[in-house]
Amino acid sequence: MNVTKKQQRQRTLKDAFLNGLTAFSSMLSVLVLTILLGYVFSKGIGLVNVDLLRNQYWSKSAIVAVEEGTQSGTFERPEDLPKEAVWSEKWGIALIDAVSHEKQALVLVERVDENSVFAATVDTSAGPNQGKSYPVVPGLQVQKIDFTDQQGNANFTGMLASETAEEMVHALDQAVSIRSVFIKTPGGGIRGSLIATLYLIFVSLLFALPIGVASAVYLNEIAKKNRFNGLIRSGIETLTGVPSIVYGLMGVSVLFPITAAFGATTTNILLGSLTLAIILLPTIIRSTEEALLVVPQSLRDASLSLGASETQTIFKITLPCAIPGILTGVLLSIGRIIGESAALIYTMGTFINDSPSLLSQGTSLAVHIWSVMSGEQPNFELACAISILILVFVLILNLTVKLISRRLNKAWY
Amino acid sequence: MENCFEIENLNLYYGEKQALKNLNLSIRKNCVTALIGPSGCGKSTFLRCLNRMNDLIEGCRIEGKIMIQGVDIYDPKTNVVDLRTKVGMVFQRPNPFPMSIFENVAYGPRCQGIKDRRILKEIVENSLKQAALYEEVHDRLHESAMGLSGGQQQRLCIARAIAMEPEVILMDEPTSALDPIATSKIEELIEELKKSYSIIIVTHSMQQASRVSDDTAFFLLGEIVEMDTTRMIFNQPKDKRTEDYITGRFG
Amino acid sequence: METSLRHQRNAEKLKRKMRIDKAFKYLFFLAALLSGSCILLIVLFILIKGIQPFLPGYRYGQMDLLQFLFGTMWRQDQAVYGVGYIVINTLISAFGALLLSFPISVLTALFIAKIAPRKLSAMLSTVVELLASIPSVVYGVFAAGMIVKLVKWLASLWGISTAGGSSLLAVILLLAIMIFPTITSMAVTAIQAVDHELELGSLALGATKTQTNFKVVLKSAKSGIFAGAILGLGRAFGEATAVSMVAGNKLFGPTFDLFDITRTLTSTMLAGLKETTGLDYDIRFSVGIVLMAVILVSNLILNAVKEKVGNHG
Repeated sequence: MNVTKKQQRQRTLKDAFLNGLTAFSSMLSVLVLTILLGYVFSKGIGLVNVDLLRNQYWSKSAIVAVEEGTQSGTFERPEDLPKEAVWSEKWGIALIDAVSHEKQALVLVERVDENSVFAATVDTSAGPNQGKSYPVVPGLQVQKIDFTDQQGNANFTGMLASETAEEMVHALDQAVSIRSVFIKTPGGGIRGSLIATLYLIFVSLLFALPIGVASAVYLNEIAKKNRFNGLIRSGIETLTGVPSIVYGLMGVSVLFPITAAFGATTTNILLGSLTLAIILLPTIIRSTEEALLVVPQSLRDASLSLGASETQTIFKITLPCAIPGILTGVLLSIGRIIGESAALIYTMGTFINDSPSLLSQGTSLAVHIWSVMSGEQPNFELACAISILILVFVLILNLTVKLISRRLNKAWY
Repeated sequence: MENCFEIENLNLYYGEKQALKNLNLSIRKNCVTALIGPSGCGKSTFLRCLNRMNDLIEGCRIEGKIMIQGVDIYDPKTNVVDLRTKVGMVFQRPNPFPMSIFENVAYGPRCQGIKDRRILKEIVENSLKQAALYEEVHDRLHESAMGLSGGQQQRLCIARAIAMEPEVILMDEPTSALDPIATSKIEELIEELKKSYSIIIVTHSMQQASRVSDDTAFFLLGEIVEMDTTRMIFNQPKDKRTEDYITGRFG
Repeated sequence: METSLRHQRNAEKLKRKMRIDKAFKYLFFLAALLSGSCILLIVLFILIKGIQPFLPGYRYGQMDLLQFLFGTMWRQDQAVYGVGYIVINTLISAFGALLLSFPISVLTALFIAKIAPRKLSAMLSTVVELLASIPSVVYGVFAAGMIVKLVKWLASLWGISTAGGSSLLAVILLLAIMIFPTITSMAVTAIQAVDHELELGSLALGATKTQTNFKVVLKSAKSGIFAGAILGLGRAFGEATAVSMVAGNKLFGPTFDLFDITRTLTSTMLAGLKETTGLDYDIRFSVGIVLMAVILVSNLILNAVKEKVGNHG
């Protein structure tokens, strides 16, 4: 066969084009990942700090009163106070301007002198804490300060009058005595959702792990190859293809009565956990089975030949050898729990709960994102900040799984 | 002399395929019986019948009787777990558990429900001594058994079997994965062990069979061609096929 | 010998041991039975619950099944529920995503498995794995923040105005990204499993490496790649959270205009879930049945196609 120079050149060109096409496609995926990570990090990183993890989501308001008698003095401005903070020499308090993630102007307390009247305030809001000490501490938002001015008139200053920190301190310097302060705790934190997520991880694994491992043991160690066991196996495999929202429907229809027996009246975290447990089953069963498969048959034979019963062999030899695989399953499951949203929206609701308990509503981190995104005013900054946390966590889990499976492949002869 | 096993009309099928054909033999107590024959002749399969390890294989069906101490081991009333405490086994490749040396030997007794640390310690030491391993490992009993050499691992597996004080020890080509020095150690050990145990050993090596065994059975295509004392088999085989095999004409 | 094991053996202990053995085997079996029957429970309960609005004597007034199945309007404020156009929308968005994602995935898989140098290939595999591990809600945030902007910009090039970028196109782009790792990783596995001898045969006939890759390797890996596409499509059908962040919620349809808002089965199930009860809540189960039916039927059809394609290659 004669191939002319021209044909050859054409062939080379065509090959180069096709190869280029594959390289270009691959770069697209890198591009998408880069843009996604870039977007999430640039938008959310500003909010990622300890306060985000520690704070409650809903801010709480309180009106605290200054005790009678104690009044103004002369306080020196602390040297380490940031330049932007405005110091009131008369009252010993520093205020600072800030912006909430909803882009609203705020005035926050930056520092309070320990001898200041603000350090000895009492809660006046109705409720169990009425009359108890509630000092003004750094980090609180100051909505309004009521005071008596030199003419003896009642007056006030604060954010309710759209005043800045500078203006408020200026007004305070005119005051003769302080009467009360309207403060708000900072909100926008994810403490409640973090706790709820931990609940989900522990409770769902509590159910899914024993059932999943036991199922894998049955299928791999005990079951004979017959039609019935084949059915069980394909039933489990089918679970993998069920969309997570359908699991949500299942949760509220099948599992809700179970949680209701424990006294639940609404959708709740326990219900979410039980639903997740079923979602996790195929993952745990598969990774356990994969681990059981590589346990050498000779070890089982040896154990049986020593007069151990099958159960003894399973608990003393086979399962201990399969631990790395089971661990992989657990880590994959945790990843799935953290990322799961649709099923949980159905089974736990979307109400962000600052003090979640098993039988109350609550949100996992992922549902928290959904919750702040599906309102009238989507909060992209907070959503991205939580996304960063989720991504970092999932990344760590994936790396660990990789390490474990590399070690797993090395073991056993 | 007493017999430890009496086998009557034993047939074994894997699905449709018949792997053992109408075996009739008795195996003497406190003797070493060697099973020889070419690969795939059924000698390992037969060995695994004796402690019912074939139960684990799906599609395996057994007919006939195997009597030990007057009881048929395939009788529905026989407890297979109990049987295996009487009939120990050592496998082709050393297969210690991934635990310490001590735990390996104590495994069997523990499975019998023995928890007393003192008794376990005594059993472990005795078994290791009988297996001629104690001297080599007495200072590292609590280290992993995976760190031992191949020959040591195999002697550990023997010690593990002895710890159960079985009536019979089955050995499935116990030296095929070992070097000559380790092999000779195991052979010496077998010589020693037959004082207290009946031993049935499957081997590929004619020399090994002639060195260690008292009786020899020659298997071919699932049948026993000839069984006699080892001296008779190796010196005056009655069957032409036996002669061909031991003189190395096939297999 | 006091420590002799023979003396320690007794029938009582053995009996207990066998009882425990039996009990645990039973427990293991029960666990497996439970795991295996979950799927039956799911299907059964959702069927029972989802069929109720169409039965006579339904609490909130019996619905007409045909109107539900073939309706072209979904107005919860008027209690009009027609899922027909939503099914079409779902099919359009899922197949659109597959159309977009499939060639890119296969080419990427070929690059990773056969063309790229080892280090680059390992890096790209990690990228694919990372994309696979990103939870759907994070994709949703990304779509609501970035993809809609892209769509808005594209629309403005044609002088079309969009609902803030939420549109059919945004859904398709989002789903294409989300199913990309599924198809790619399956395709990589399939390509790597191709018999090396086949390649050598082709090379020996004077074909270039690239010709071999495209003509022989891809053809032999066809069945595995196709399986990946089916899996990806399943994911596209079932994806809920991310899709509902950019779908908009069109009240009638079907939507064929790429820049118009749309409504998929899953976004319908999630929309307004917070404050809903009664019929509007129960009907979501009916939508769930339709979703499962869509997935099942498309899987059956595609598997049949796969068999056919596989037989000819």
